[in-house]
Amino acid sequence: MSISAPLSSGISAEAVRRRLHGQRFDLPGIVVHVALLLSLLFSLVVLGVLVYDLVSGGWDVFASRFASFLSGTMRFAASESGIAQALRGTLWIGVFVVALAFPFGIGAAVYLEEYAPDNRLTRVIDINIRNLAGVPSIVYGILGFAVFVKTLSGLTGGRSVIAGGITLAILVLPVVIITAAEAIRAVPDDLRQGGYGLGATRWEVTRTQVLPYAAPGILTGTVLSLARALGEAAPLILVGAVVGRLGSNPGLFDIGSLDQRFTALPIVITYWAGLPQPDFRALTAAAIVVVLAIVLAANAAAILMRNRYESKRG
Amino acid sequence: MRSAQRRSARLLALPLALLLLTAACGNDSDSAGTGTEEPGATGGGGATSGTINISGSSTVLPVSQLVAEAYADAGNQANVNVDGPGTGDGFQLFCEGETDISDASRPIKAEEIATCEQNGIEFVELRIAIDGLSIISNTSFDALECLNFADMYALSGPESQGFDNWTDAQAIAGELGSQTQFPDLPLDISAPGEESGTYDSYVELVIETYNEDRGQEAQTRPDYQSSGDDNIILQGIQGSPSSYGWVGYAYFVENEGQVKAFQVASEPGGECVAPTPETIASGDYPISRPLFIYVNAEKAESNAALAPFVDFYLSEEGISAVAQAGYVDIPEADLEETRSTWDSRTTGANFASE
Repeated sequence: MSISAPLSSGISAEAVRRRLHGQRFDLPGIVVHVALLLSLLFSLVVLGVLVYDLVSGGWDVFASRFASFLSGTMRFAASESGIAQALRGTLWIGVFVVALAFPFGIGAAVYLEEYAPDNRLTRVIDINIRNLAGVPSIVYGILGFAVFVKTLSGLTGGRSVIAGGITLAILVLPVVIITAAEAIRAVPDDLRQGGYGLGATRWEVTRTQVLPYAAPGILTGTVLSLARALGEAAPLILVGAVVGRLGSNPGLFDIGSLDQRFTALPIVITYWAGLPQPDFRALTAAAIVVVLAIVLAANAAAILMRNRYESKRG
Repeated sequence: MRSAQRRSARLLALPLALLLLTAACGNDSDSAGTGTEEPGATGGGGATSGTINISGSSTVLPVSQLVAEAYADAGNQANVNVDGPGTGDGFQLFCEGETDISDASRPIKAEEIATCEQNGIEFVELRIAIDGLSIISNTSFDALECLNFADMYALSGPESQGFDNWTDAQAIAGELGSQTQFPDLPLDISAPGEESGTYDSYVELVIETYNEDRGQEAQTRPDYQSSGDDNIILQGIQGSPSSYGWVGYAYFVENEGQVKAFQVASEPGGECVAPTPETIASGDYPISRPLFIYVNAEKAESNAALAPFVDFYLSEEGISAVAQAGYVDIPEADLEETRSTWDSRTTGANFASE
């Protein structure tokens, strides 16, 4: 006889579940459910309030003078001030992070995971990279000042966006290495074994199996670290980003002036937020919205690319 | 399979290509960087192009910023950068020869002069404006209108640590000869932190009147809400109906109506003076301080852009920035003295400060 016979005689699945739980009302389960939901709501509400506060605070600026806000320079009068110089600095910092931290970080991760032997030395290196990721950003600022502003001033031009960009690239390097290494570690070993079984070399396996599979994870980590670099202010202050007035306003892609003094969006935001004139508060909010938009765009690009890789993988 | 291969190759190739590109750019800009000053000087508007780096007091920053803006708007090509890390940090850079002009909200100190001398840096000291400190409280605080230096020492000096009611300071104020009756209200202090020039001025002008005689260090009590951000100080002052604090006069003017400024007497029984442009310029208001720019004398010769800029700074048009930035003009006679100091490039410090 099958066990379905008693069930058919009027005992519902719900009744069975109740019986299994000792007919008790599942209080702990409901509490956990509600608590988890509240955690999510809390994060969303905080984020929502923040975004609403910023957008409403900066709305006047966007509505009345969007173009001149984007093309203007740092000036005494709030009504004439803009973020052109800061945008330029932030853009170039992003370029340096992409050009330096990404290839070196991913390269180091591939080496650590695919090539390096698993011995005491590599484990020590691994732990140290993790520690580096937790070092306060101001420490990287001191490093940047000592090495790129002072020692290598011939190469970087001293207090320049080159020095700032390299400093921030080094700042996020450990994060890039860690996230890339995690992504590579998550690649099923079967894939590698299959490759080796077909006679592929280690580089061929890495290139054709491991990296394509790990690409979505690597992308997510690298873009998150790019977002972090774009939002950093403390190291840039040490490296000598100008807080006040920047005399030059070269074009966005004027490579020749990369070794001149510079500023960046987080620096301008910090500066404006501390100014006494109330009008600068709207500018501060507007500048933060611009930073958020840039970071959001970077994240969106990463998600799009990740989805492409994931669909390829599937 | 092949497309995945190509794609992953591209994944690696993109950052690598960018790396090469920027490496190439780095070299480019390096050679261009060393060259920019030369072609600029010959190709631009004669002696006016070049770069001028100004750093120092965040109090003086708006003045130098406004002058630089007016200078650029007048069609001069010079590239004037103005930074404001603070007077002390500014002098450090200045005495290492990193900046052309140092903004200062106090005269240069002896130890800073020594550093400058060690590095062979001579400077021209130019007084450009006067700043007053405003002693502030909540607008609803009406128990007192006037405070003297003894009251201020009793409320915020080194001996006041732990005082959280105005009456706690009564005994010390009395010992110093003050007749002021403090109200029985909480004492909530919001003021600039030690890194600020405004803090230095407060200690120098108010606290140092009494601390040595009483065997105390020249500092304020450590236990108050300190911030380098004037807006946060303002919030603290507005947050308590019986608050106490101090900010630069310019900042008080920006926010007039939102906080109350006390009248100030320099000694118990002295005349109470409210901070106004007139009383500050005349020196009647007891807590005011001169603002300076220090010009690197050697760079005034070697940097062709610098001398014309300082000329402009001290001209009628340039110096009007002082009022625009919310500070008080120095009297005409003093301004003439500043100009002649500059014209003769007289080096050295004339305003004593230990």
